[in-house]
Amino acid sequence: MAAVLLSRVGAPTASAAPAASPAFQQDTATYGCVICHADKRRAFQLGAHAERGIRCDNCHGGNPRAFEVRTAHVGRFVGRPTKIGVAQLCASCHSDPDRMRQYGLPAGQLAELRTSRHGRLLFAGNTDVPTCTDCHDAHTILPPEDARSNVYPINIPATCARCHENRPLMAKYGLATGQLAELRSGAHGTALFEHRNFAAPTCIGCHGSHAALPPRVAEIVHVCDRCHAELGRALYGGPHGRPALSGRLPGCLGCHTNHATERVPPDRIAATCTRCHQPESPAAQRGVEIQQRVVQAAEDLRAAGTAIEELVRAGRPVTDERFRYQTALTSFQQIAEVQHSLDLEVLDDLALRVGSISRTIRSTEETAAEQRWEHQLILIPVWFLVLSAVVLVRFKLSELRRQGE
Amino acid sequence: MTRPLAWLRQWLVQVWADLRASTDTGVLAVARFIGLLYGPIDGQARIDEALRKALRYRLPGHVGWRHAFGGVTYLLFIVLIVTGVLLSFYYRPSAQEAYPSIQFIVSQAPFGWLVRDLHVWSASLIVVAALAHMGRVFFDAAYKPPRETNWLVGLLLLFLVLAFGSTGYLLPWDQWAYWTVTEVLDALAGLPLIGGPVVAVLRGDAIVSGATLSRFFALHVIVLPWVALVLLGYHFTLVRKHGIAPPKNPDEASRPPVPFFPHHLLRSFSVSVVALGLAISVAALFPRPVGHAANPYEPPSELVSTWAPVDVSLGLIRYLGAWGFALFTLLGLSLAFLPLFDRSPERRLRRRPAVAALGLTFFAGFVAFWLIGHQVRSVAPGPRPEPERVEPAEPGITLPPAGTTPIRPAEPPTRPPGGLQ
Repeated sequence: MAAVLLSRVGAPTASAAPAASPAFQQDTATYGCVICHADKRRAFQLGAHAERGIRCDNCHGGNPRAFEVRTAHVGRFVGRPTKIGVAQLCASCHSDPDRMRQYGLPAGQLAELRTSRHGRLLFAGNTDVPTCTDCHDAHTILPPEDARSNVYPINIPATCARCHENRPLMAKYGLATGQLAELRSGAHGTALFEHRNFAAPTCIGCHGSHAALPPRVAEIVHVCDRCHAELGRALYGGPHGRPALSGRLPGCLGCHTNHATERVPPDRIAATCTRCHQPESPAAQRGVEIQQRVVQAAEDLRAAGTAIEELVRAGRPVTDERFRYQTALTSFQQIAEVQHSLDLEVLDDLALRVGSISRTIRSTEETAAEQRWEHQLILIPVWFLVLSAVVLVRFKLSELRRQGE
Repeated sequence: MTRPLAWLRQWLVQVWADLRASTDTGVLAVARFIGLLYGPIDGQARIDEALRKALRYRLPGHVGWRHAFGGVTYLLFIVLIVTGVLLSFYYRPSAQEAYPSIQFIVSQAPFGWLVRDLHVWSASLIVVAALAHMGRVFFDAAYKPPRETNWLVGLLLLFLVLAFGSTGYLLPWDQWAYWTVTEVLDALAGLPLIGGPVVAVLRGDAIVSGATLSRFFALHVIVLPWVALVLLGYHFTLVRKHGIAPPKNPDEASRPPVPFFPHHLLRSFSVSVVALGLAISVAALFPRPVGHAANPYEPPSELVSTWAPVDVSLGLIRYLGAWGFALFTLLGLSLAFLPLFDRSPERRLRRRPAVAALGLTFFAGFVAFWLIGHQVRSVAPGPRPEPERVEPAEPGITLPPAGTTPIRPAEPPTRPPGGLQ
């Protein structure tokens, strides 16, 4: 039996998985293990470690050359390491900067893990928390760039959700669930899942990966402004900047939400202000003024877009109009920045620019529409000629009929 | 003071007299020259006699307005040729230039909008006119022997009209044209045996591209017009050879015959100007909108149909489903080939109720589904790839354990098997 298996495993057959490295197939160091653990061999061959010369005994110990369990599982053999054991086992290589340098990998994951809540509970003996293999898999360990990997950007939310959407488990630790649905519904989720925009943050973009923790209140603005740098700068310069930096305001979360990150719609600006400010206060009044301008600018931009669509349908070249529209769009997007600094003067300037460009585009469209209407005037001479011809023919035919009679 | 004026007047009179004399001489010379050529030619080809014979031709008395549809179809064909030639002055058949040249035609070229919309509308109207002509022949039982060959030639001409429209459909090279042709070619490729090779030849590339545009253009303006001219010539020759079919009711046959010239020619003329007026009116009132430039990488959010048969197909598929479309096509084909088997001399409609009902269903159905289909806002060509759904089940989640089933990367967009929906 063993000989049959040996001959099948040992031969470099074409049926081997495509990711299999030839060296591994001919490697006598794994013959013994795969007699029983063929499934593990297949899983392992798909991963990155198989190509780097790592073999079963590097992690599990024992004697890979033995053909029987009794002689194989000997010495420092570890069948299934404990959660802490896994972290220590991985760290035995991955915490060695000298060894990781050649692969361009960082070596601080264990140190990071120890600072996270996962790590602190793990090393306190908790077995609910994840260890390395829970996110990276035990055998099919793939780099984050590989789309099959659990830590590929688009797969990360599902990987975290395995535990964080488990209500009974989260209830034990007083944590809420539902973040995955919230993420999907928000701007970041849309960018990530629908537009495949990997610049959008997944869970680890804000919480960190190995050192995963929720940001503290005073840290929130710093987390957000890593990507939204311009908005952050505008916020710090405005009236909300100081309280947000000192942690007296919940940073960006004062107006936006965390997982279901969304833009404040133009018509909800004033209502957002009155969440904290009294409706009659000067601050709330300023919110109303800002809302009026932003709503008007959004309407102008929409009208310009519709006008361009109409021009396209009328067969007009719209290169100039598209260029103008981009300029208006840039100004409109800058309005978002001003909404954070709350500078009405700059806002007025930008809104006026959007309105002026929109009027130019709309007037081009109106001229084209007038021209289309003028085209229909050709029907007057056409039908005059047609009806004249019909009347004349009728006269002629009746004359012919009279002659015939 | 008066001397120079008098001299100038005398000089102008002299110039005018010389000019008149030379013009008279010129006209005379041209007339003589034509006579010189025409005489011997007429001696050989008898043009004069043929013309006189045609003018003397007398049509049967029962020929009425309903016989005008064939003429209207021919008129629309001529309109399509004239406007097509005018369009080809500006149109450039390449993937880079086709769309801008269409924009130039409708927005810059003098009366380009009229020429273009007249071409587009005539392409739809000619299908309806041809079907109306076929309907007249069908209900009059004018296809019965000895005219069954001409029914077949007419049928070929109808398919030719459809081929003209199909090849012309791609030429605007906007998103609607591009993706409709993509969908239709994909559907055609699904036909067993012939589908694949035919589509490979028509498309000339892995996707609809500049190669396809060149092929469709060549077919549209070089190949099909010659085939049409030959078939039309044959069609008209057969009409003259066998004459107009006898009336359904024998008592109509007793009416006195009508001279072709001037009576019938005048009637044809008035029908033609009204038809032309109608074509210009729909062209001016309902211009064919232009979509965005063709983009093979991004399907449009909706497909707008711009040709009657596409409208009919959309209406059928939307309201009767793919089977409805297939059955309607089958009905049309069975009607087309039914005359070859229906050889009894009976012409009265009341004696042929089943045939009449089927014919009426098809012809009325075509017009009805044209109007219905024109209202259908088609969906995008193919569904966009859905983002992976990993909605957790309540209360815990049951995602597969790590590593066993890696989450699949996005699949390429797939198309619905039914094509246009």
